[in-house]
Amino acid sequence: MPRRRWPLPAFATLALLWLAVVGLAPALRLLAEAAGPALPRLMQDAAVWRAAGRSLLVAGGAAALATLLGAAQAGLLLLREVPWRRGLIFLCILPLLVPAQILALAFIQMGGPSSPLLLALGLAPPLGTTNPFYGAGGMILLLGIQGAPLVLLAIAALVRRVPGELLPAARGMGASPSTALRQVVWPLLLPGLLAGAGLAFVAALGNFGIAALLGIPGRYVLLPVLIWQRLSATGPAALTQVAALSLLLAVLALPGLLAQFLAARRAGWAAGKPFQPLPATPLARAALLPLSLYLLLVLGLPLVALVASALVPAMGVPVSPATVTLRHFAATLAPGAHTLAALGNSLLLSGGAALLLAAAALPVALALRHRAIRWATAGADLPYALPGACTAVSVILLVLGLPGGSLVYGTLGLILFAYLARFQALALRPVAAAAARLDPALEDAARGMGAGPLLRLAAVHLPPLAPALTAGAILVMLLAVNEVTVSSLLLGPGTVTLGVLVFNLQDGGQSPQAAAVSCLSLLLVAGLMAAATLLGRRLPAGTLPWRP
Amino acid sequence: MMRRANFLLLGLSALAAPLLPLGASPARAEPSGSLVLYTSQLEPDAARTVELFQKRHPQVKVEWIRGGTNQIMPRLRAEIAAGAPRADVLLLADSLTFEGLKQEGLLRPSPEVQTGNTPAAVHDPDRTYFGTKLLTTGIVMNTRAPFTPKGWADLLRPEARNMTAMPAPAVSGAAAIHVQAVAQAPSLGWGYWEKLAEAGLQPRGGNGAVMQAVAGGERAFGMVVDYMPIREATKGAPVRFIFPEEGVSAITEPAAILKSSKNPEAAAAFISFLLSKEGQELASSQGFLPADPNVVPPEGFPDPKSIKLLPFDAGRAAAEREQDLRRFNQIVGQ
Repeated sequence: MPRRRWPLPAFATLALLWLAVVGLAPALRLLAEAAGPALPRLMQDAAVWRAAGRSLLVAGGAAALATLLGAAQAGLLLLREVPWRRGLIFLCILPLLVPAQILALAFIQMGGPSSPLLLALGLAPPLGTTNPFYGAGGMILLLGIQGAPLVLLAIAALVRRVPGELLPAARGMGASPSTALRQVVWPLLLPGLLAGAGLAFVAALGNFGIAALLGIPGRYVLLPVLIWQRLSATGPAALTQVAALSLLLAVLALPGLLAQFLAARRAGWAAGKPFQPLPATPLARAALLPLSLYLLLVLGLPLVALVASALVPAMGVPVSPATVTLRHFAATLAPGAHTLAALGNSLLLSGGAALLLAAAALPVALALRHRAIRWATAGADLPYALPGACTAVSVILLVLGLPGGSLVYGTLGLILFAYLARFQALALRPVAAAAARLDPALEDAARGMGAGPLLRLAAVHLPPLAPALTAGAILVMLLAVNEVTVSSLLLGPGTVTLGVLVFNLQDGGQSPQAAAVSCLSLLLVAGLMAAATLLGRRLPAGTLPWRP
Repeated sequence: MMRRANFLLLGLSALAAPLLPLGASPARAEPSGSLVLYTSQLEPDAARTVELFQKRHPQVKVEWIRGGTNQIMPRLRAEIAAGAPRADVLLLADSLTFEGLKQEGLLRPSPEVQTGNTPAAVHDPDRTYFGTKLLTTGIVMNTRAPFTPKGWADLLRPEARNMTAMPAPAVSGAAAIHVQAVAQAPSLGWGYWEKLAEAGLQPRGGNGAVMQAVAGGERAFGMVVDYMPIREATKGAPVRFIFPEEGVSAITEPAAILKSSKNPEAAAAFISFLLSKEGQELASSQGFLPADPNVVPPEGFPDPKSIKLLPFDAGRAAAEREQDLRRFNQIVGQ
């Protein structure tokens, strides 16, 4: 593919500006704190290197597992016409919606001495046994489960772009359906796989909830936990150390960034008929059983645990008809509980971030053929790999250092800005992989017919990229709506987000009420996605990933 | 004997401390303007405290932000690094955090704060920070636990192996103080932590997480601040709180005024309110042991005079905090 001169330099400049403000500036401001005497001392700290090595191992394992799970789901649900296909795709995306700490707690409970499941089977280990999920294996498993939807969505964003003529052609040349899928379709989906794997790697590297809940008791400290331990240390050196450790984490994220970089390398193909999934084979139907069991495990289990802990009068009281109470749900909805305000704030912030990032992702993805922009996006991905606390601190440093910054400080605007920085990578990656596959001939044709840049953006690029854009927006929405760390550091007086409300309740030992709030928020977001499905009937086919 | 340091002594020192005549300063202007409070108090408690303060000083508008100490501190650090700290008053869990801030010269000495009947021992002698209540760390046990421990040493018994939870010192200021108080205690010392780590001690999360682990039966015993198990037990949770015979460690949830405060008058009025009889009764009604020994403690607490404290050298602890916590983290493998 010959490199072409970008026809819309204005858009490219805008894209660069956006990336600089939203992604690069906060990250660089934080890294500027790293300069100082703390750096060499940190480099000699054995604990740092141990944590770095372990982080790399766990994130690598988790990315591999997520790729495996995501690719298996894609192969079954996106390429084959199996029964209940749409519903199952929808469910496969939902693990993203389960906050990491809830997933971790559910698994801890399931594998522990008080597990109702194991007790019922007579397999419960005695009180005081070390939980099998503590440690590296458990973290890889849970991070892999949470990463799988990232891979599935990245592949889904590409499937619609696979030319429908390919399969008949391959079949005509004598290939069996499965051979055709393996040898013709999968190679075309490889960039999606790569983009998803890279995203899952970066997400696993920066995940704090699972690293803290499974890693700390398992005595397996990963870098985000170490950063957070140093951040809460007293003394003015804390920020410097944290900045230096963030730098290290950024270096570790390189393989993930590289994978995404490669995935976005331009190799366009002519768009033809959209890809139609093949009829289901008996094997594919049989594979629905393990898939259902998997979904039951990763969705049903945390949900049951959550509901159970919301229905008991106090922590540790067993669930039974005699003890069940709706008191905590009532308290959640009582005036003064802030639940509705928190819900409103979280929806506003996550919805706003999703829309803005999706809107920005289009010009940025189209400008990716410029090397400068590709490097800028790699840098702008960094805040996603850093723990949320680092993003928050960097945003405080940046905004308060600007003239007039104090006007934004403590408002929801500040959190929105931090969300844009943090979730940029999620919105951009699926779009980048899909944009690289656009047929350049279309653009030339439109220009030849005198279409201006804006018209070409709306009429030529938007329709084929719409599925990838919504996939990115949904990712952002699902992850931002329960976000805790960033908002807990940036909240202004009197405001609260859903994640912070749950955290505050849990922090105060009121976990039944925290569970009740979590139940309501899960219900609400699932409802929103269902509403999007209904509205999605009017959108072009494939715009919603679970309506292929 | 040092180990006899108890509430009786604290009470006596309070009586010996010169009481500031209440209402003897009519010349002082009524505070007004806005006041920014950063606190680690629980959400409803912080709201109630602010509400009652504003009732008494209607011209002050309090804006408050609530978070764990480990959320408030990075935020404050970043604000200071950016040259624009926002808070006027800090109300956080433990005195060591304040000791650090004081040594950096960030706190404002405030002789005008009226300490009411609270004992001088809970305040900084230089009057940069003021203890507002007592949160003690003792043992919580699940009612199904194999035995009832009498003291800290009982957690080393073989039946308790892998059964003890505690909050991570990086999360909980109370846990950090507890680590140092136990290490300083001659009868326990670092050897106690080493043995407990060998027996499978797992520090994790905050006090809420420990409560959850013990109440849920994942662990039989936990080290935790007093009010959570005492409050949850009255609601029916299968837990019991024990004041160990060697003594409990305690934090005082101090309040302080930042040197950069633009409204020190209102800030001083806020801290004076916390230490007044009304403020102390509020703390008791919220389920906390008040610093003022004359205020009746909340239901479920024993007579304050019967509670024994572990000896604690705060100055030494502040100086050695970083190395102590690093040593602890090495012992427990973190």
